[in-house]
Amino acid sequence: MEVSFGSFQVAVLMAFLFVTMALVTIFVVVARQSSRNVAFETVTDTGYRLRRAWLAFLVLLLGSGVVLSLFFLPFPGDSKATATVNVSGGLFYWSMNPETIPVGSEVSFDVTSADVNHGLGIYDPDGVLMGSVQAMPGYHNQLDLTFDKPGTYMMACLEYCGFKHHDMMKEFEVTQ
Amino acid sequence: MSQAATATEAANTNGGVLHPLGEKFNPNTSKPQNLVGWLFGGTGLALFALMALVGLLMRFTQADTVGVSPEWFYRLMTLHASGMLAGALLSMMGGLWFVVRAVVPGLSLGRAIASWLAIVAGAVLIVVAVLIGGFAAGWTFLFPLPFDASGQWSTWAAVTFIIGMGLVGVGFMVYCIDVLKATTQAYGGLSGALGVKWLRGKDPTGPPPQVIAATAVTIQGVICSAVGMTIVMALLDHTIDGQVALDALWAKNLTYFFGHTIANLIIYLAAGMIYVLVPLYAGRQWKLSKPLAIGWLFTIVFVMTAYSHHLYMDFVQPGAPQMISLVASSAAAIPVAVVTIYTGMMLIWGSRFRWTLTSVLLYLGFAGWAIGGSGAVIDSLIPINFRLHNTLWVPAHFHNYLMMGVGMWMMALVSYMLERAAGRTASRRTTIWAPLLMVGGGYGFIFSWYISGALGIPRRWAVQPIGTENYSLVASIFAIVFLIGFFMLLLEFFSLARTALARRREAPPEPALASIAGASTEADLALGNAPEPLLRSPFGIAVTVGLAVIASFALLPPISEASEATIGFHHLAHAVQFFIGAMLAAALASTPAIARRITPRWTNIGLITVILLPAGMLLFMIPAIYTDIEDENFLHASYHFVVLILGFLLGLGASTLGRTAGWAVLISSVGMGLMFAAGVTGG
Repeated sequence: MEVSFGSFQVAVLMAFLFVTMALVTIFVVVARQSSRNVAFETVTDTGYRLRRAWLAFLVLLLGSGVVLSLFFLPFPGDSKATATVNVSGGLFYWSMNPETIPVGSEVSFDVTSADVNHGLGIYDPDGVLMGSVQAMPGYHNQLDLTFDKPGTYMMACLEYCGFKHHDMMKEFEVTQ
Repeated sequence: MSQAATATEAANTNGGVLHPLGEKFNPNTSKPQNLVGWLFGGTGLALFALMALVGLLMRFTQADTVGVSPEWFYRLMTLHASGMLAGALLSMMGGLWFVVRAVVPGLSLGRAIASWLAIVAGAVLIVVAVLIGGFAAGWTFLFPLPFDASGQWSTWAAVTFIIGMGLVGVGFMVYCIDVLKATTQAYGGLSGALGVKWLRGKDPTGPPPQVIAATAVTIQGVICSAVGMTIVMALLDHTIDGQVALDALWAKNLTYFFGHTIANLIIYLAAGMIYVLVPLYAGRQWKLSKPLAIGWLFTIVFVMTAYSHHLYMDFVQPGAPQMISLVASSAAAIPVAVVTIYTGMMLIWGSRFRWTLTSVLLYLGFAGWAIGGSGAVIDSLIPINFRLHNTLWVPAHFHNYLMMGVGMWMMALVSYMLERAAGRTASRRTTIWAPLLMVGGGYGFIFSWYISGALGIPRRWAVQPIGTENYSLVASIFAIVFLIGFFMLLLEFFSLARTALARRREAPPEPALASIAGASTEADLALGNAPEPLLRSPFGIAVTVGLAVIASFALLPPISEASEATIGFHHLAHAVQFFIGAMLAAALASTPAIARRITPRWTNIGLITVILLPAGMLLFMIPAIYTDIEDENFLHASYHFVVLILGFLLGLGASTLGRTAGWAVLISSVGMGLMFAAGVTGG
């Protein structure tokens, strides 16, 4: 299996790197200021004032993340799927019916497991992870995905399932 | 001056190790504290070192250089995670105990050692299950994988591993019950020890921050251990009787509630230790404040409700826990960022901070927690999790806050104790180079995972996708750099230990351990610290008896027979019978005639009772036992009566643990029966 960066994932990584750099800067600044001799009252006077702003900023930032998430949930809603594909995971294989998907389809995957917990990850022809859903024994998870690009896609297992977990892959075609 | 006092004074002389003003915050240490600090901290760090080497071998395997077969990779993966969990848990349990014992003398050394023994015994069983039995279902042992081994391990290995994890849970539970009992007894009950009384103006001084942390963590620990014990017993039931069927989603919920919460609580255990150690180097006290007390109350709520983010990709999981988890996972960052880390930075800013090896490690731990926590929050947003779930982003973020956060604090604990005992700081060379190598190597190692996660590489793959092996190779090289720094640090630790031993030989002997081991019980007896009764008023007793009477309607033949209709209802009926017994015992043990006879001497028996009986109840609920007697009225009734008696004994046991710890175990034990009924069928 070949993998490559998706633009979404790169954006997430960049955002995280930005946060990391900001945090590193703060820790470096505090470390550098640590050797000074400042009255604690002076530190707390400013610190407590800044803390309110810091709290407001964090609530806003984290709250925005949560609210935005609600608009992009991957959970199945009113499905507009034009095709249903049944997928079942087993030690160490994927079975899929039908095995080809017409390009442009909005597909509803009905995902289950024949034995232990597996995780269905679908990679596009460029090797970008489109998303994942768990395959559980006794349950059927519905994953809706749209296939705009023809080519060879890959299913891989994203939930540890045993000694051939890394071999549990299957190719499928999205055709014109 | 007595010999003991002289010895303590000698141990507390820090030889300029601390900030000049930090001396007054330096906790007085007693032999029990030192013993627990060394035992837990030392064992934890030893496990960290061994498991780090195992981890390195796994990364080399993924790099397709030197390495092991996939079969061995997954065994080592199971061992590495379980061993690291046990090590970090032990270390931070010891660190918190060390600082809390200074202000809560009621903490029992004997029970701390019992807790250590249980966790170490659990770790040994895990090693046996993996290295001899070949068990490789991952530390999360998601049902039904332990029983579907593809020929890689046999049932005994699975059972050995499950009992091993159960013992880790038991050890943590013993610790949590004892700490919760002691802090709430010393600081005016749960509301007193959590600072709620102080917030409401009913307590002028309030508890020290480390006591709030200890109380908040341990009450969560009791609940989390009870959930862990439920899934462990259900898996054992399944092993004993193949008719016992577990619901996979239910099992996953319980496993992740236990696993996520216990792993998360390691950091919060550490927070309690940080409240005491950072002031020693800043010369400023970490005081109780409203944000701190309120922050911990929110932390309890958020930590207990965040676990479902492990099940985001289980779309059949009900929406409520998913949404609660979405909010809680982000919200949990606020008390950390706004209270704990922020206050730590204020204490350090302009303090003429005393930089030693210990304080450098403490400081780096904050950074690891903050950066790793950010990676965790990002992954906890569902649309992002959709594309990062179970990719290498996951080990990236948890190694970030466990290895570069908790790992630093594990080293800091031992470093603090060594620098203190040796009366000197670590060498300047090690103080600079060891952390520098660990930071450079550690973050390089972790960021190769973050990048690999963005690349969509699945986690827990022995063989990496084509063309990505170099990420593992680069990570392995960074890991070696980290380990060079770490072993440099260990060499310095040996040097400090030699100095400490030489110093100790010159100091007067300390009192014999035997007299100290029982000191808390004796102190409790001397102070009249009898456990508070579970119920303090006749009205409370009446209400509890009333609850038992209402519940006893379930024993009426029509309801009892109806409960036989499904296995779930049948198990629910057992839980109700257990509840009736527990409530009756709680009421009875709270009557003045009985309550005044319950002394601290009963605590150990009570503790054993509350741990064994709920587990025994669940072990008793298998079709192999009850199916054959269902047609025999007397035997059938006796079976249900035994369940009721088990509940009654549980109630008596809980009444020896004081009001808060007693109710915590009583409620969570009844909860175990209810949880079991919700997910276990068959027969």
